[in-house]
Amino acid sequence: MKIPISLEDLTESLRCLPGVGPKSAQRMAYHLLQRDHIGAQRLANALTRALEHIKHCEMCNNFTEEAVCEFCRSERRDSGLLCVVEMPADLMMMEQAQCYRGMYFVLMGRLSPLDGIGPREIHLERLLKRAQDGLVQEVVLATNFTMEGEATAHYISELLHTRGVRVTRIARGLPVGGELEHVDSGTLAQAVLERREI
Amino acid sequence: MTTDKHRQDAQPAFVLHTYPYLETSLVIETFTQNFGRVPLVAKGARRPRSALRGSLMAFQPLQISWAGKSELKTLHKVEWQGGQPFLQGMSLICGFYLNELLVRLLHRDDPHEQLFLYYQQTLAALSTQKDYTPVLRHFEQRMLQELGYALILSHDVESSKPISSDQEYCYKIEYGPVSLKKGSNGSGLKITGKTLLDMDQDDYSDAVTRQQSKALIRYILNHYLGDQPLHTRQLLKDLQQL
Ligand SMILES: [Zn+2]
Repeated sequence: MKIPISLEDLTESLRCLPGVGPKSAQRMAYHLLQRDHIGAQRLANALTRALEHIKHCEMCNNFTEEAVCEFCRSERRDSGLLCVVEMPADLMMMEQAQCYRGMYFVLMGRLSPLDGIGPREIHLERLLKRAQDGLVQEVVLATNFTMEGEATAHYISELLHTRGVRVTRIARGLPVGGELEHVDSGTLAQAVLERREI
Repeated sequence: MTTDKHRQDAQPAFVLHTYPYLETSLVIETFTQNFGRVPLVAKGARRPRSALRGSLMAFQPLQISWAGKSELKTLHKVEWQGGQPFLQGMSLICGFYLNELLVRLLHRDDPHEQLFLYYQQTLAALSTQKDYTPVLRHFEQRMLQELGYALILSHDVESSKPISSDQEYCYKIEYGPVSLKKGSNGSGLKITGKTLLDMDQDDYSDAVTRQQSKALIRYILNHYLGDQPLHTRQLLKDLQQL
């Protein structure tokens, strides 16, 4: 039996999702077509609408439907602080922790030289412009504590230092409430290395 | 101990690169002392509470165990060896450069024990030395030598005469330095005898030597890397231009 072209096309298209191989793509396609027609229609509409309306905020680079997102328009935030995160999910975590009242810049990625992701792929020019708007007093680097996140933080700090911007990096260490017995060696080694006077 | 060749225990290794695999796993490109570059699957390593996560860090000496019969074997255990200071800032970018070279130039499952030791020494040097140029040039030369592409720095490959400091040479790929005669213009890179001799002695104190040796290494590496440029080279260049 020959597979209809439109079905083949759907299966192939689903494979653009991360972690979806040919098998799971086929399962998804069959599910949408056979068991959930309404869901499939909603997905198709939502995807079209999102593609049409979602863009990057001019100030923070996060997803928004407007030129400048609600967050960046807020007057209750401290415009002297600019926190750099890798992904929108990181921004959500920062907000959940309720420890920070400044502005954000979302890189939408990280420098990852071995994957071919360089400074041009993560909107660094826009960040440099944003950090020099005359209001920002301090840039807080909150990229991940992976090797890639560290390289990204170093690269950004070098660029900003030469432009006279004050840069800080969030601290790392043992998790709050964590016990030495259960922490991994990398975290513990780094925490000992970065110990501080009390 | 097991004699099963599909299973290896407590092998000294470094993580060169990791990338996502399926929904919760990672593929780890490892550089092992006894088996060379071995790609492994770390199952579930992307789950938030995975115990593997904090240990699978690049530039840190590890002992790893794996098993499997297919090309992509499964990582079973990682043990942190410690003793290697963390790379930071520019030394971290240099570390990425070493890893990109190894990922691009080492064949899978092709052991290079000596190169493994050089790599370990180079990471240690990067974390303590301020001047990265000699460290990188030294590693590149050792790596080329271990891969069978050793540079010839001591004599003219045509006349067999020792390199003389005040002579000009033309370095030809997969051949070596040839004295540059007046009016000759074959393919190759023009270089002074002094640079060749300095490189042979690992002496990078001279500005001309630094500039020419960088050009020579780049010329030779490009030959073996093919069309795709090194991504880390652009980062290094950007940062040095600041
Ligand atoms: Zn915004």
